[in-house]
Amino acid sequence: MRANDILSGLALIVCSLAMIALTLSFPDFPGQKYGPALFPRILGAGLILCGAALVRNGLAARRAGAPWLELAPWTHDPRRVASLLLTLALLLVYVVASETIGFIPIALVFLLVLFVWLGVRPIPAVLTAVLTTIAIHWFFSTMLRVPLPRGWLDPIL
Amino acid sequence: MDVLIEAAKLVFDPFVLWVILASSAFGIFVGAMPGLTATMATALLVPITFFMPPVPALGAIVSATAMAIFAGDIPAAMLRIPGTPASAAYTDESYAMSRKGELDLNLGVNLVFSVIGGLAGVAILILCAPALAEFAIHFSSFEYFWLALLGLTCAIFIATDAPLKGIASLLLGLAINCIGIDPAAGHPRFTFGSVELMQGVSFIPAMIGLFAVSELMRGVVTIDQGGAVLTQKIGNVFVGVWNVWKRYWPNFIRGSAIGVLIGALPGAGADIAAWISYAVSKKFSKEPEKFGTGHIEGIVDATSANNSALGGAWIPALVFGIPGDSITAIVIGVLYMKGMNPGPTVFLQNPQFIYAVFLIFILANLLMLPLGWAAIKSSKQILRVPRNILIPVILLFCIVGSYAMTNSIYGVIIMLVMGVLGWIMEENGFPIAPAILGLVLGEMLEQNFMTSMIKSDGAFLAFFERPIAGVLGVTTLLVWAAMLWRGINRSTVPAAPVG
Repeated sequence: MRANDILSGLALIVCSLAMIALTLSFPDFPGQKYGPALFPRILGAGLILCGAALVRNGLAARRAGAPWLELAPWTHDPRRVASLLLTLALLLVYVVASETIGFIPIALVFLLVLFVWLGVRPIPAVLTAVLTTIAIHWFFSTMLRVPLPRGWLDPIL
Repeated sequence: MDVLIEAAKLVFDPFVLWVILASSAFGIFVGAMPGLTATMATALLVPITFFMPPVPALGAIVSATAMAIFAGDIPAAMLRIPGTPASAAYTDESYAMSRKGELDLNLGVNLVFSVIGGLAGVAILILCAPALAEFAIHFSSFEYFWLALLGLTCAIFIATDAPLKGIASLLLGLAINCIGIDPAAGHPRFTFGSVELMQGVSFIPAMIGLFAVSELMRGVVTIDQGGAVLTQKIGNVFVGVWNVWKRYWPNFIRGSAIGVLIGALPGAGADIAAWISYAVSKKFSKEPEKFGTGHIEGIVDATSANNSALGGAWIPALVFGIPGDSITAIVIGVLYMKGMNPGPTVFLQNPQFIYAVFLIFILANLLMLPLGWAAIKSSKQILRVPRNILIPVILLFCIVGSYAMTNSIYGVIIMLVMGVLGWIMEENGFPIAPAILGLVLGEMLEQNFMTSMIKSDGAFLAFFERPIAGVLGVTTLLVWAAMLWRGINRSTVPAAPVG
């Protein structure tokens, strides 16, 4: 999925302008004309120049007949697009829900859903999901003492 | 001498040796699996090494990456898919050899020349790094500012064929690094009131996102596109290697030299070293017409180069704290976490650590011979591990690893955001390596810039007044001018390629 450089260039310019706008509230060093805002402003200016050059390249490409959005071959296969979206959705679910549900149940669900979607047969999928979850939990939580969220299993663990 | 004995004591400890062995096996597996890279192996190892003392932590990274770069040659020869990008330059050549029935010789040459190429890289690292450190001890903020800027400039100049997008990627990395408390005045920037953003974007979760998660996102859409394993039987891989050495040893020397040099230049690592040395080999060969038909000559050059580049990349990383490739970029993060700030003072204060790293490098390269042989023998089993099981497991591992670095969901959020950002960038032709360099070097660049500004009371000319700073500064400006000139020349050519 490749967007025309006009779009990437404009995105860079908008982000840099926002960044520079945010630096306006930064205080200067006492007695100097510059401060913590200087470095981000230099970077912002550089990014705007890059963005402008990209827009120029993009316009030239448009005149040569390049499309706004060039789709990679896999985007024509709905199943592959769904794989990508499912992976991202599962990651988001992990971020939102892991603290309440706990690592072990959410890791099991995470692995099982992905395994089944990607075509692992049911029995190996369940076995690998259970074993991997136990192994990772044992290694990080017991060996390395990382406080993985306990969630629902708090009374048992 | 005392230092050497102390270093040996640190390395030849049962726990350290066990870590080296385990991470070597890990490195071979990751390297041999197409789609998993040596940098990814490093990023995945860091959350584990975080809980170790410095020597085993560095040992794990050194041995895993050395093995991974070699192991990437195995699927290149058997599947025509490079295991890591470092093997991409000669994948077609290797596969053509296998089809001619020379799979054994190809794997043997790859193994042996990877080992001695790696050792050549270490030798130069051992010779150069301490000498450079003695020189670098006199550097002030002006020199470090220029050095960091020159490093970043080089990264774009050599490493990318799209300089404009390379610069944008670099500036983006530097800008992301601005989030958090600023290094000169302690003012919180771009934190939006979040306490967690005040500590900045955590480096390792960002790295796991940019290198591992974005790669896995690509892997998940191409999950069923593996190649068919060659059914050829693997015999004695060492037959004929001696003849290759007798005929092509000058290629080995040239390849290793190019490898170390490219490795030491910031931003370019093993993959670019392999491409360049393969091209050089073809250019100076007496039989260039044989290249591409399964000819061993270019492979000797390139397989030596990619392993020697690993050692070369550690030279600027240890001496100046400027990473030579994306692996050492992560290493620098690890060094800071362990309180061993890279730079010439490490050589004075903790020389035993430096020598321990050297020893581990030698050990890991020697260990590559038996382990690599075992990997070749069991390659069919390794390559049969199904990707639809592997990718979800690694993804879960990334999540837990990122969580472990911050002990909160904040690490996972950073990983996810950076993963998506890295994926979008790669899809649109923005190289990721410059952004990583920006993230690593941002603080050093800004701190030295601000300190120098305050010292000189805002006068820019002071940046050129000290002799070494002046030379570095002028060199940087010259490289900029060259890039600008190249850019202008390119854009005056009608119908410039999309770029």
